[in-house]
Amino acid sequence: MLKREGRRACLVAGGTEAVVQRDRSIRTLVDVSRLGLCYIRRKGSGWAIGAATTMATLEESRQIREFADGILAAAVSTCGSMQIRNMATLGGNLANASPAADTPTPLLALDASVVLASSRGRRTVPLSEFFLGPSQTILNGALLVEILIPGPPRRGRTGWSFQKLGRTESDISVVNCAAGLQVGRTGKCIWARVALGAVAPTPLRAQGAEAALIGQPVTKELIEAACDAVLREIRPIADLRASAEYHREMSLVLTRRALRQCAQRAGCPL
Amino acid sequence: MKTIRTRVKINGETKEWTIAPGDLLLDVLRREGYLGVKRGCETGECGACTVLRNGRAINSCLLFAAQADGCELLTIEGVAQGDVLDPIQEAFLEHGAVQCGFCTPGMILNTKALLARHPDPTEEEVRDMLAGNYCRCTGFRKPIEAVLTAAQACRAKGRKKPTSARRARAR
Repeated sequence: MLKREGRRACLVAGGTEAVVQRDRSIRTLVDVSRLGLCYIRRKGSGWAIGAATTMATLEESRQIREFADGILAAAVSTCGSMQIRNMATLGGNLANASPAADTPTPLLALDASVVLASSRGRRTVPLSEFFLGPSQTILNGALLVEILIPGPPRRGRTGWSFQKLGRTESDISVVNCAAGLQVGRTGKCIWARVALGAVAPTPLRAQGAEAALIGQPVTKELIEAACDAVLREIRPIADLRASAEYHREMSLVLTRRALRQCAQRAGCPL
Repeated sequence: MKTIRTRVKINGETKEWTIAPGDLLLDVLRREGYLGVKRGCETGECGACTVLRNGRAINSCLLFAAQADGCELLTIEGVAQGDVLDPIQEAFLEHGAVQCGFCTPGMILNTKALLARHPDPTEEEVRDMLAGNYCRCTGFRKPIEAVLTAAQACRAKGRKKPTSARRARAR
Protein backbone atom coordinates (compact mmCIF):
# COMPACT_ATOMS: atom_id res chain seq x y z
CA MET A 1 0.00 0.00 0.00
CA LEU A 2 2.86 2.33 0.90
CA LYS A 3 4.58 1.53 -2.36
CA ARG A 4 1.46 2.07 -4.46
CA GLU A 5 0.42 5.32 -2.83
CA GLY A 6 3.88 6.84 -2.44
CA ARG A 7 3.73 10.35 -1.07
CA ARG A 8 -0.04 10.28 -0.82
CA ALA A 9 0.17 7.68 1.96
CA CYS A 10 0.97 8.47 5.54
CA LEU A 11 1.91 6.09 8.32
CA VAL A 12 0.04 6.62 11.57
CA ALA A 13 1.19 5.20 14.88
CA GLY A 14 0.36 7.49 17.80
CA GLY A 15 -1.20 10.09 15.52
CA THR A 16 0.41 12.94 17.42
CA GLU A 17 2.31 14.02 14.31
CA ALA A 18 0.14 12.79 11.44
CA VAL A 19 -2.95 14.56 12.76
CA VAL A 20 -1.24 17.82 13.69
CA GLN A 21 0.37 18.12 10.22
CA ARG A 22 -3.09 18.19 8.56
CA ASP A 23 -1.53 17.44 5.20
CA ARG A 24 -4.37 17.68 2.68
CA SER A 25 -2.44 15.80 0.01
CA ILE A 26 -2.63 12.58 2.05
CA ARG A 27 -5.12 10.12 0.53
CA THR A 28 -4.29 6.96 2.46
CA LEU A 29 -3.64 6.47 6.16
CA VAL A 30 -1.84 3.30 7.22
CA ASP A 31 -2.24 2.43 10.89
CA VAL A 32 0.89 0.73 12.22
CA SER A 33 -0.11 0.83 15.87
CA ARG A 34 -1.38 -2.76 15.91
CA LEU A 35 1.32 -4.70 14.13
CA GLY A 36 2.67 -6.18 17.34
CA LEU A 37 5.44 -3.58 17.45
CA CYS A 38 4.88 -2.57 21.08
CA TYR A 39 7.49 -4.38 23.14
CA ILE A 40 10.66 -4.00 25.18
CA ARG A 41 12.77 -7.17 24.96
CA ARG A 42 16.14 -8.12 26.34
CA LYS A 43 18.61 -8.75 23.54
CA GLY A 44 21.99 -9.94 24.77
CA SER A 45 23.09 -7.32 27.26
CA GLY A 46 21.04 -4.67 25.43
CA TRP A 47 17.47 -4.09 24.34
CA ALA A 48 15.19 -4.45 21.35
CA ILE A 49 12.30 -2.00 21.40
CA GLY A 50 9.32 -2.23 19.06
CA ALA A 51 8.88 0.96 17.01
CA ALA A 52 5.26 1.45 18.13
CA THR A 53 6.12 1.35 21.85
CA THR A 54 4.71 4.47 23.48
CA MET A 55 6.73 6.99 25.46
CA ALA A 56 4.63 6.16 28.54
CA THR A 57 5.44 2.44 28.28
CA LEU A 58 9.16 3.23 28.10
CA GLU A 59 8.94 5.71 30.94
CA GLU A 60 7.18 3.17 33.17
CA SER A 61 9.52 0.29 32.35
CA ARG A 62 11.75 -0.43 35.32
CA GLN A 63 14.41 -1.90 33.03
CA ILE A 64 14.53 1.20 30.84
CA ARG A 65 14.62 3.42 33.92
CA GLU A 66 17.61 1.48 35.23
CA PHE A 67 19.46 1.02 31.93
CA ALA A 68 22.37 3.44 31.36
CA ASP A 69 21.40 5.61 34.32
CA GLY A 70 17.94 5.93 32.79
CA ILE A 71 18.86 8.40 30.04
CA LEU A 72 16.27 7.08 27.61
CA ALA A 73 13.57 7.06 30.30
CA ALA A 74 14.56 10.63 31.25
CA ALA A 75 14.25 11.74 27.63
CA VAL A 76 10.86 10.10 26.94
CA SER A 77 9.40 11.55 30.15
CA THR A 78 9.88 15.03 28.64
CA CYS A 79 8.09 14.21 25.37
CA GLY A 80 4.95 16.28 25.90
CA SER A 81 2.06 15.86 28.30
CA MET A 82 0.90 12.61 29.90
CA GLN A 83 -1.75 12.29 27.18
CA ILE A 84 0.81 12.79 24.42
CA ARG A 85 3.21 10.30 26.02
CA ASN A 86 0.37 7.75 26.08
CA MET A 87 0.03 8.12 22.31
CA ALA A 88 3.39 9.11 20.84
CA THR A 89 5.72 6.26 19.88
CA LEU A 90 9.48 5.90 19.87
CA GLY A 91 9.52 4.93 16.19
CA GLY A 92 7.34 7.93 15.35
CA ASN A 93 9.67 10.30 17.17
CA LEU A 94 12.60 9.00 15.11
CA ALA A 95 10.82 8.74 11.74
CA ASN A 96 9.47 12.26 12.14
CA ALA A 97 13.13 13.39 12.13
CA SER A 98 12.72 16.66 13.95
CA PRO A 99 16.21 18.05 14.64
CA ALA A 100 14.93 18.98 18.12
CA ALA A 101 13.42 15.60 19.03
CA ASP A 102 14.26 14.29 22.49
CA THR A 103 14.80 10.57 21.93
CA PRO A 104 17.44 10.53 19.13
CA THR A 105 20.13 12.09 21.34
CA PRO A 106 20.14 9.42 24.09
CA LEU A 107 19.79 6.73 21.42
CA LEU A 108 22.81 8.13 19.54
CA ALA A 109 24.81 8.18 22.78
CA LEU A 110 23.76 4.55 23.31
CA ASP A 111 24.97 3.53 19.81
CA ALA A 112 21.45 2.44 18.85
CA SER A 113 20.55 1.13 15.44
CA VAL A 114 17.21 0.85 13.70
CA VAL A 115 15.67 -2.09 11.87
CA LEU A 116 13.90 -1.15 8.64
CA ALA A 117 11.50 -3.43 6.80
CA SER A 118 10.42 -3.12 3.18
CA SER A 119 9.21 -5.42 0.42
CA ARG A 120 12.88 -6.21 -0.22
CA GLY A 121 13.44 -7.47 3.31
CA ARG A 122 14.92 -6.18 6.53
CA ARG A 123 18.09 -4.28 7.19
CA THR A 124 19.72 -2.83 10.28
CA VAL A 125 21.22 0.65 10.07
CA PRO A 126 23.10 2.64 12.72
CA LEU A 127 20.88 5.46 13.97
CA SER A 128 23.72 7.89 13.14
CA GLU A 129 23.07 7.15 9.42
CA PHE A 130 19.27 7.34 9.66
CA PHE A 131 18.72 11.11 9.61
CA LEU A 132 19.35 13.13 6.45
CA GLY A 133 17.92 16.53 7.43
CA PRO A 134 14.86 18.13 9.01
CA SER A 135 11.94 15.71 8.42
CA GLN A 136 14.20 13.64 6.15
CA THR A 137 15.39 10.10 6.75
CA ILE A 138 16.69 7.19 4.72
CA LEU A 139 13.30 5.41 5.12
CA ASN A 140 12.12 6.00 1.53
CA GLY A 141 8.98 3.89 1.89
CA ALA A 142 10.44 1.37 4.33
CA LEU A 143 8.88 0.82 7.74
CA LEU A 144 10.86 1.41 10.92
CA VAL A 145 10.06 -1.70 12.98
CA GLU A 146 12.58 -1.94 15.80
CA ILE A 147 15.18 0.02 17.72
CA LEU A 148 18.22 -1.94 18.91
CA ILE A 149 20.31 -0.75 21.84
CA PRO A 150 23.52 -2.68 22.47
CA GLY A 151 24.71 -3.39 25.99
CA PRO A 152 26.90 -0.63 27.41
CA PRO A 153 30.70 -1.09 27.38
CA ARG A 154 31.80 -3.50 30.08
CA ARG A 155 35.21 -2.65 31.47
CA GLY A 156 35.60 0.17 33.96
CA ARG A 157 32.87 2.35 35.40
CA THR A 158 30.30 4.11 33.26
CA GLY A 159 28.16 7.17 33.80
CA TRP A 160 25.38 8.58 31.62
CA SER A 161 23.40 11.80 31.53
CA PHE A 162 20.54 13.41 29.62
CA GLN A 163 20.08 17.17 29.77
CA LYS A 164 17.35 19.22 28.17
CA LEU A 165 16.52 22.86 28.01
CA GLY A 166 12.98 23.69 26.97
CA ARG A 167 10.65 26.56 27.70
CA THR A 168 8.83 24.16 30.02
CA GLU A 169 9.86 20.65 30.94
CA SER A 170 7.51 19.02 28.44
CA ASP A 171 8.04 21.53 25.62
CA ILE A 172 10.18 20.67 22.61
CA SER A 173 13.89 21.20 23.21
CA VAL A 174 15.78 24.45 22.72
CA VAL A 175 18.82 22.23 23.10
CA ASN A 176 19.22 18.71 24.44
CA CYS A 177 22.32 16.70 25.16
CA ALA A 178 23.03 13.08 26.05
CA ALA A 179 26.42 11.76 27.06
CA GLY A 180 28.11 8.62 28.30
CA LEU A 181 31.58 8.16 29.76
CA GLN A 182 33.55 5.07 30.61
CA VAL A 183 36.38 5.55 33.04
CA GLY A 184 39.22 3.08 33.58
CA ARG A 185 40.91 2.18 36.83
CA THR A 186 43.53 4.88 36.42
CA GLY A 187 40.87 7.59 36.15
CA LYS A 188 41.34 8.00 32.42
CA CYS A 189 38.41 8.18 30.06
CA ILE A 190 38.43 5.09 27.85
CA TRP A 191 35.20 5.59 25.94
CA ALA A 192 32.92 8.57 25.40
CA ARG A 193 29.70 9.53 23.64
CA VAL A 194 28.33 13.03 23.29
CA ALA A 195 25.15 13.73 21.28
CA LEU A 196 23.16 16.94 20.87
CA GLY A 197 19.73 17.84 19.53
CA ALA A 198 18.27 21.04 18.07
CA VAL A 199 21.66 22.49 17.09
CA ALA A 200 22.10 21.07 13.57
CA PRO A 201 19.85 19.90 10.70
CA THR A 202 19.83 16.46 12.32
CA PRO A 203 20.48 15.12 15.81
CA LEU A 204 24.25 15.08 16.02
CA ARG A 205 27.04 13.03 17.55
CA ALA A 206 29.87 15.33 18.57
CA GLN A 207 32.73 13.04 17.59
CA GLY A 208 35.36 15.73 18.02
CA ALA A 209 34.34 16.12 21.64
CA GLU A 210 34.43 12.35 22.12
CA ALA A 211 37.94 12.20 20.64
CA ALA A 212 39.06 15.01 22.96
CA LEU A 213 37.89 13.00 25.97
CA ILE A 214 39.30 9.57 25.19
CA GLY A 215 42.63 8.66 26.76
CA GLN A 216 42.70 11.67 29.10
CA PRO A 217 42.28 11.86 32.88
CA VAL A 218 38.71 13.04 33.62
CA THR A 219 38.99 16.55 35.06
CA LYS A 220 37.05 19.80 34.92
CA GLU A 221 39.58 21.11 32.39
CA LEU A 222 39.08 18.10 30.14
CA ILE A 223 35.32 18.64 30.20
CA GLU A 224 35.88 22.28 29.19
CA ALA A 225 38.03 21.12 26.29
CA ALA A 226 35.25 18.76 25.19
CA CYS A 227 32.73 21.62 25.39
CA ASP A 228 34.97 23.74 23.14
CA ALA A 229 35.10 20.86 20.68
CA VAL A 230 31.26 20.70 20.71
CA LEU A 231 31.12 24.36 19.69
CA ARG A 232 33.20 23.57 16.61
CA GLU A 233 30.81 20.79 15.55
CA ILE A 234 27.35 22.24 15.99
CA ARG A 235 25.61 24.32 13.32
CA PRO A 236 22.73 26.01 15.14
CA ILE A 237 20.30 28.34 13.41
CA ALA A 238 17.98 30.99 14.79
CA ASP A 239 14.46 29.61 15.08
CA LEU A 240 11.31 30.67 16.88
CA ARG A 241 12.64 29.27 20.16
CA ALA A 242 16.06 30.88 20.30
CA SER A 243 18.77 32.74 18.41
CA ALA A 244 21.74 30.86 16.99
CA GLU A 245 23.92 32.44 19.63
CA TYR A 246 21.68 31.25 22.45
CA HIS A 247 21.61 27.73 21.01
CA ARG A 248 25.40 27.80 20.94
CA GLU A 249 25.73 29.10 24.50
CA MET A 250 23.24 26.56 25.84
CA SER A 251 24.97 23.70 24.00
CA LEU A 252 28.03 24.58 26.02
CA VAL A 253 26.10 24.69 29.29
CA LEU A 254 24.24 21.42 28.70
CA THR A 255 27.33 19.54 27.49
CA ARG A 256 29.20 20.70 30.58
CA ARG A 257 26.34 19.61 32.86
CA ALA A 258 25.99 16.27 31.08
CA LEU A 259 29.69 15.42 31.20
CA ARG A 260 30.03 16.48 34.83
CA GLN A 261 27.08 14.28 35.75
CA CYS A 262 28.55 11.38 33.74
CA ALA A 263 31.87 11.75 35.56
CA GLN A 264 30.10 11.86 38.90
CA ARG A 265 28.03 8.79 38.08
CA ALA A 266 31.14 6.96 36.92
CA GLY A 267 32.63 7.67 40.34
CA CYS A 268 35.11 10.40 39.33
CA PRO A 269 35.34 13.30 41.75
CA LEU A 270 35.97 16.51 39.82
CA MET B 1 -17.20 8.43 0.61
CA LYS B 2 -15.69 5.30 2.07
CA THR B 3 -17.04 4.37 5.49
CA ILE B 4 -15.86 2.02 8.20
CA ARG B 5 -17.88 0.21 10.84
CA THR B 6 -16.21 0.48 14.19
CA ARG B 7 -17.14 -1.06 17.49
CA VAL B 8 -16.14 0.35 20.87
CA LYS B 9 -17.10 -0.17 24.47
CA ILE B 10 -17.80 3.28 25.80
CA ASN B 11 -18.72 4.00 29.42
CA GLY B 12 -19.48 0.29 29.77
CA GLU B 13 -21.81 0.09 26.74
CA THR B 14 -20.96 -1.52 23.42
CA LYS B 15 -21.61 0.83 20.48
CA GLU B 16 -21.20 0.48 16.77
CA TRP B 17 -20.48 3.59 14.76
CA THR B 18 -20.18 4.28 11.07
CA ILE B 19 -17.23 6.56 10.52
CA ALA B 20 -15.09 7.92 7.70
CA PRO B 21 -11.46 6.77 7.64
CA GLY B 22 -10.10 10.22 8.48
CA ASP B 23 -12.60 11.00 11.26
CA LEU B 24 -11.02 12.00 14.53
CA LEU B 25 -12.26 10.44 17.73
CA LEU B 26 -13.13 13.87 19.15
CA ASP B 27 -15.50 14.59 16.25
CA VAL B 28 -17.14 11.18 16.43
CA LEU B 29 -17.64 11.37 20.20
CA ARG B 30 -19.29 14.80 20.00
CA ARG B 31 -21.41 13.70 17.02
CA GLU B 32 -22.58 10.71 19.09
CA GLY B 33 -23.64 13.01 21.93
CA TYR B 34 -20.71 12.78 24.33
CA LEU B 35 -20.57 16.54 24.74
CA GLY B 36 -18.51 16.37 27.94
CA VAL B 37 -15.58 15.81 25.57
CA LYS B 38 -14.58 19.40 24.84
CA ARG B 39 -13.18 20.79 21.63
CA GLY B 40 -10.27 23.02 22.52
CA CYS B 41 -7.04 23.56 20.61
CA GLU B 42 -7.36 20.50 18.30
CA THR B 43 -3.58 20.12 18.29
CA GLY B 44 -3.03 18.04 21.41
CA GLU B 45 -1.94 20.92 23.61
CA CYS B 46 -4.85 21.80 25.88
CA GLY B 47 -6.22 18.45 27.06
CA ALA B 48 -9.89 19.55 27.01
CA CYS B 49 -10.70 16.58 24.75
CA THR B 50 -9.07 14.01 27.07
CA VAL B 51 -10.74 10.60 27.23
CA LEU B 52 -9.46 7.28 28.54
CA ARG B 53 -8.63 4.59 25.99
CA ASN B 54 -8.05 1.22 27.66
CA GLY B 55 -7.47 3.09 30.91
CA ARG B 56 -4.95 5.57 29.53
CA ALA B 57 -5.55 9.29 29.08
CA ILE B 58 -5.25 10.44 25.48
CA ASN B 59 -6.12 13.54 23.48
CA SER B 60 -9.12 12.49 21.38
CA CYS B 61 -8.36 15.31 18.92
CA LEU B 62 -5.19 13.46 17.85
CA LEU B 63 -6.60 9.97 17.49
CA PHE B 64 -8.24 8.68 14.35
CA ALA B 65 -11.55 7.17 15.45
CA ALA B 66 -10.67 4.03 13.49
CA GLN B 67 -7.78 3.50 15.89
CA ALA B 68 -10.24 3.21 18.78
CA ASP B 69 -11.86 0.14 17.20
CA GLY B 70 -12.17 -2.65 19.76
CA CYS B 71 -11.05 -0.34 22.59
CA GLU B 72 -12.68 0.56 25.87
CA LEU B 73 -13.36 4.26 26.17
CA LEU B 74 -14.32 6.32 29.18
CA THR B 75 -15.67 9.86 28.92
CA ILE B 76 -16.74 12.14 31.76
CA GLU B 77 -20.34 10.93 31.22
CA GLY B 78 -19.29 7.49 32.49
CA VAL B 79 -17.36 8.55 35.59
CA ALA B 80 -20.20 8.89 38.11
CA GLN B 81 -22.15 5.78 39.09
CA GLY B 82 -25.70 6.99 38.48
CA ASP B 83 -26.25 9.80 40.96
CA VAL B 84 -23.19 8.91 43.00
CA LEU B 85 -20.21 11.05 42.08
CA ASP B 86 -16.73 9.61 41.83
CA PRO B 87 -14.44 10.61 44.74
CA ILE B 88 -12.42 12.64 42.23
CA GLN B 89 -15.52 14.63 41.24
CA GLU B 90 -16.38 15.12 44.93
CA ALA B 91 -12.88 16.40 45.64
CA PHE B 92 -12.99 18.87 42.73
CA LEU B 93 -16.28 20.28 44.06
CA GLU B 94 -15.09 20.35 47.64
CA HIS B 95 -11.92 22.27 46.75
CA GLY B 96 -13.58 24.76 44.41
CA ALA B 97 -11.40 23.40 41.62
CA VAL B 98 -14.11 24.11 39.03
CA GLN B 99 -14.94 27.57 37.74
CA CYS B 100 -16.05 27.66 34.12
CA GLY B 101 -15.65 23.88 33.96
CA PHE B 102 -14.38 23.63 30.39
CA CYS B 103 -11.13 21.93 31.36
CA THR B 104 -12.67 19.89 34.19
CA PRO B 105 -13.72 16.71 32.33
CA GLY B 106 -10.19 16.34 30.97
CA MET B 107 -8.62 16.97 34.36
CA ILE B 108 -10.88 14.45 36.08
CA LEU B 109 -10.26 11.74 33.50
CA ASN B 110 -6.51 12.33 33.54
CA THR B 111 -6.63 12.11 37.34
CA LYS B 112 -8.62 8.89 37.17
CA ALA B 113 -5.98 7.27 34.96
CA LEU B 114 -3.17 8.52 37.19
CA LEU B 115 -4.73 7.25 40.42
CA ALA B 116 -5.45 3.85 38.87
CA ARG B 117 -1.70 3.47 38.28
CA HIS B 118 -0.29 5.50 41.17
CA PRO B 119 -2.74 5.53 44.10
CA ASP B 120 -0.32 7.66 46.11
CA PRO B 121 1.13 10.30 43.74
CA THR B 122 3.50 13.03 44.90
CA GLU B 123 2.56 16.64 44.26
CA GLU B 124 5.28 16.64 41.60
CA GLU B 125 3.59 13.76 39.78
CA VAL B 126 0.23 15.49 40.04
CA ARG B 127 1.70 18.67 38.56
CA ASP B 128 3.30 16.71 35.72
CA MET B 129 -0.05 15.05 34.98
CA LEU B 130 -2.05 18.31 35.08
CA ALA B 131 0.49 19.92 32.73
CA GLY B 132 -1.52 18.18 30.02
CA ASN B 133 -4.72 20.06 30.91
CA TYR B 134 -4.73 23.79 30.37
CA CYS B 135 -6.89 25.84 32.71
CA ARG B 136 -7.21 29.54 32.08
CA CYS B 137 -9.53 30.59 34.89
CA THR B 138 -9.27 28.51 38.08
CA GLY B 139 -5.54 28.02 37.89
CA PHE B 140 -3.85 24.89 39.12
CA ARG B 141 -3.59 25.27 42.89
CA LYS B 142 -7.14 24.09 43.60
CA PRO B 143 -7.07 21.20 41.13
CA ILE B 144 -3.74 20.00 42.60
CA GLU B 145 -5.26 20.06 46.09
CA ALA B 146 -8.34 18.25 44.79
CA VAL B 147 -6.31 15.49 43.16
CA LEU B 148 -4.27 14.93 46.32
CA THR B 149 -7.47 14.79 48.40
CA ALA B 150 -9.07 12.42 45.90
CA ALA B 151 -6.03 10.15 46.09
CA GLN B 152 -6.38 10.09 49.85
CA ALA B 153 -10.11 9.39 49.63
CA CYS B 154 -9.55 6.56 47.18
CA ARG B 155 -6.87 5.00 49.37
CA ALA B 156 -9.02 5.41 52.48
CA LYS B 157 -11.66 3.31 50.80
CA GLY B 158 -9.16 0.53 51.34
CA ARG B 159 -8.97 -0.47 47.71
CA LYS B 160 -7.31 0.66 44.56
CA LYS B 161 -9.38 2.83 42.27
CA PRO B 162 -10.87 0.48 39.74
CA THR B 163 -9.66 1.34 36.26
CA SER B 164 -12.30 1.69 33.59
CA ALA B 165 -11.13 -1.60 32.12
CA ARG B 166 -11.34 -3.48 35.39
CA ARG B 167 -14.69 -2.03 36.24
CA ALA B 168 -16.08 -2.89 32.84
CA ARG B 169 -14.98 -6.48 33.31
CA ALA B 170 -16.62 -6.61 36.73
CA ARG B 171 -20.00 -5.81 35.20
